[in-house]
Amino acid sequence: MLPILSLIVLIPLVFAALTLLTKTKEQARLMALVATVSVLILTLYMYLNFDSTTAAHQFEELYQWVPSLGITYHVGVDGIAMPLILLNAIVLPFLVLFTWNDERKSPNKFYALILGTEAAVIGVFTALDFFLFYVFWELTLIPLFFMVSIWGGPNKHHASIKFFIYTHVASLVMLLGIFGLYFAAWDMTGTPTLDIPTLLAQFQLIESALLKDMIFLALLFGFIVKIPSFPFHSWQPDAYTEAPTAGSVLFVMLKIGGYGLFKIMLPMLPFTGSPNMMITIMAVLGSVSIIYGAFLALSQKDLKRMVAYSSVSHMGYVLLGAAGLVSLSVSGAMFQQFSHGLIMSVMFMSCGIINNKTGTRIMNDLGGLAQKMPKLAVIMVLTFMASLGLPGLSGFIAEVSVLAGSFGNLPAYVIIALVAIVITGAYHLWALQRTMFGVFDKKLGTITDINRYQTLSMGVIAILILYFGLNPSAVLDMMLTNSEQIASMMAVMGV
Amino acid sequence: MAENLMLFAPELTLVLTGLFVLMVGLFLPTGAKKVLGYLASIGILVALSLTVSSLGTEGMAFNDTLSVDALSQFFKIVFLVVALIVSIASIKYTEGNSHTEEFYALSIFATIGMMFVASANDIMVLFVAFELASLATYALAGFEKKNQKSLEAALKYFIIGSLSAAMLLFGISFIYGLTGTTSIPGIAANITALSTSPMGIVAVVLMLAGFGFKIALVPFHMWAPDTYQGAPSVVSALLAAGSKKMGIVAAFKIFIVALIALQAEWQIAFAILAVVTMTYGNVVALKQTSVKRMLAYSSLAQAGYISMAFVVLTPLALGGGILYALSHGFMKAGAFIVTAAVAYMVLSDNKDSEDTDHIDNFKGLGVRMPITALSMTIFVFALAGIPLTAGYMSKFVLFSSTIQSGFAWLAVIAILNSAISLYYYAKIVKYMYFLPTDLEKVSEPLPYVAALLIAVAGVFAIGFWPEPFIHWAMEAAMVLIPGGM
Repeated sequence: MLPILSLIVLIPLVFAALTLLTKTKEQARLMALVATVSVLILTLYMYLNFDSTTAAHQFEELYQWVPSLGITYHVGVDGIAMPLILLNAIVLPFLVLFTWNDERKSPNKFYALILGTEAAVIGVFTALDFFLFYVFWELTLIPLFFMVSIWGGPNKHHASIKFFIYTHVASLVMLLGIFGLYFAAWDMTGTPTLDIPTLLAQFQLIESALLKDMIFLALLFGFIVKIPSFPFHSWQPDAYTEAPTAGSVLFVMLKIGGYGLFKIMLPMLPFTGSPNMMITIMAVLGSVSIIYGAFLALSQKDLKRMVAYSSVSHMGYVLLGAAGLVSLSVSGAMFQQFSHGLIMSVMFMSCGIINNKTGTRIMNDLGGLAQKMPKLAVIMVLTFMASLGLPGLSGFIAEVSVLAGSFGNLPAYVIIALVAIVITGAYHLWALQRTMFGVFDKKLGTITDINRYQTLSMGVIAILILYFGLNPSAVLDMMLTNSEQIASMMAVMGV
Repeated sequence: MAENLMLFAPELTLVLTGLFVLMVGLFLPTGAKKVLGYLASIGILVALSLTVSSLGTEGMAFNDTLSVDALSQFFKIVFLVVALIVSIASIKYTEGNSHTEEFYALSIFATIGMMFVASANDIMVLFVAFELASLATYALAGFEKKNQKSLEAALKYFIIGSLSAAMLLFGISFIYGLTGTTSIPGIAANITALSTSPMGIVAVVLMLAGFGFKIALVPFHMWAPDTYQGAPSVVSALLAAGSKKMGIVAAFKIFIVALIALQAEWQIAFAILAVVTMTYGNVVALKQTSVKRMLAYSSLAQAGYISMAFVVLTPLALGGGILYALSHGFMKAGAFIVTAAVAYMVLSDNKDSEDTDHIDNFKGLGVRMPITALSMTIFVFALAGIPLTAGYMSKFVLFSSTIQSGFAWLAVIAILNSAISLYYYAKIVKYMYFLPTDLEKVSEPLPYVAALLIAVAGVFAIGFWPEPFIHWAMEAAMVLIPGGM
């Protein structure tokens, strides 16, 4: 059988190297398009052949790598990883198209970094060995760091360094957690292994409750900084805002924190020394992120910064849903990651276009853009509605599942989150009103609508938001299979 | 006897090469001395292949004063690889210098000294070999006779090195006086005489100070930044990547084999030295503007990491430390060769320029010397421990063994240190790729490129295919603690 998972990591990686060697923008963007489209085709093939009735890993590949340390090359996907790979594979070709006619310095490096990020992020989703997982995890840092520090906004150096140090320190703490798990299991069984499924199964055999809690918290810290969640979110608005549009979209594709939560944290949770404390931590951080992010978004003057804070708020649902521990809330949280990726990428593209055309993102200086850019207005209104949770669009499904699912176990936190829904509605509508509608300010000069590449890429993603809103089971089925497995384990352990 | 000699075929090859280079150099005009570099490199390459082909052989020679085992073989390979990289790069550095033969002879003699230290099974042989390497490197550090900085570097290195040799010898005299033998296993057998006497502590302290100077552990490090900065870059590469490892293998032999019974005394000292050294090295490196000085401080930090092996003392930790020594050899030798290439570039812009190692000279290096800049990026990322490089693999083994043995606090400090170090390493990358320059592209001299490519190959070989290297390092570690503690 075709080693399809290796291919979807290897293709972007090899093309990234080839793209670096290109001389012109035309060559570079073509390379990037070829690579991302091939990944999309392979991923669609995998998606169509994916069995969503089983929670087991599919398309597995396993080779020995460093036997003396138990390191293997082990990849595979399940219902948690598959939708996220699909998300990346869908958005990336359209991201390349979106930037098709942009003028920028060093286009070869630019497209190479996009491909490098794609390879690393997909690599994290496919890795079933902690060594491989950590390698890809760290690898996501490097292209994004350069993305911000080369093509970023005025504060790019501050933002890129902050992002790098913040998340690198978090990764190192996560690495300590991995080491703890690795050695505790090694001591018990006498054979070293870094295989993720094996180690997750062996976690429950560790005797010391304190050690188990330490391991869990170290890993959790690594993941929630990446998500990011309150109080470790402060790198995110800076990085998202200062990054170029493509960089912001890539950041949104970086769903590895939430992925780790479902893939690694939840299977470990019932076996920790104090599962109730862990649930409380996740629920508190999730609900505080939801409401705090919403208030911060409400107070922003800069459109892109507002979108960035809204992302903090939306990612809070992921944590809250995970802490809900029933299959409805967990699958809702997984769906939130997927849907949020689609919605945010269009929102950041809109911010980028507005900034390019008008030279500002300060909402009070804008207004009436819908008259000049009707196509953008349609797409932007649709995605803003999806983001605030309008029924029929993908955001609604996710948030309702999370809130309804979590209510049984965590009613107090859900009620807190419900308050935020009002604020969420408010800042989205207010932002639309201040930018797209109202009186057009003549000082902004002549403004043209989005070009056809931009229309195509944003339009297709917007249609997908609608599609997944009407037909969520296209990805929700596979998520449900895995969430049910997680939930039944919780029920067995009485958590 | 002949069999014994065959065990030391690599060393003998080097001795012959060194003498031959020295002799031939006398009869060559300055312009033709370039051939000496090729001769020396070939000699080192032959010695290296002899060592590699004899991997696995074991034996004792000369009344058991020298031993060939997995440990000595491993470190010999480290020294020979570093010597090879340095000697290839020096083909360019010594171009047109009338003292080329001395340069090569000295660096070969230094390598021989290091190799005998790795083989020494007797504390006096160890000391003599140690001094052979040291004396040769003192002279090499001052190779640029007209350059004040080089002379200052050599003088500092010489004075402090002699002082540390004196301490070492003083320590040895206590050990000999109390145990009545100079054989390393003999000392271990008679250790009760030492461990029951208060003089035992004095001996440990003196030895610790003596090796501390060579390895450049804080607070015995004062000479290192000045010497690494002032000495010619190729010599700094030999010092940081080779000579420092000699200190480590000697300390392994003395402390872990001979003085293992005094473990309680020196283990805690190494714990403190390791923590202080890595933290001090990384923090001070942050604000350096001279790249060579930054590398010197980073070298301190790396020695701090390796010293963790003395604290943990499990086969895995020692294997990790030994693997780290090899990785560091590639990374650090490579990084110093880059500074040599940059110095060449700066001098070809303006032959009177000073401070060729200032970080401003790295501006736009990605455009001016693409291969050099890319190699430097690989070396600094490897030093910082970015995955899929030698640095990451070694850190992985070393740090994880630390956690395994219950020294989680030490691993946490080391990991935080790695995080700090990334900042100054990334700064070099930033200068090379993000800061513009209006100076033109320079053609990169072939010898430097060849040396850099060897080092890059080593960094990636260990990073991608660590299994055989870990295996060898573990075998070497087993020589130190045969039972596996």
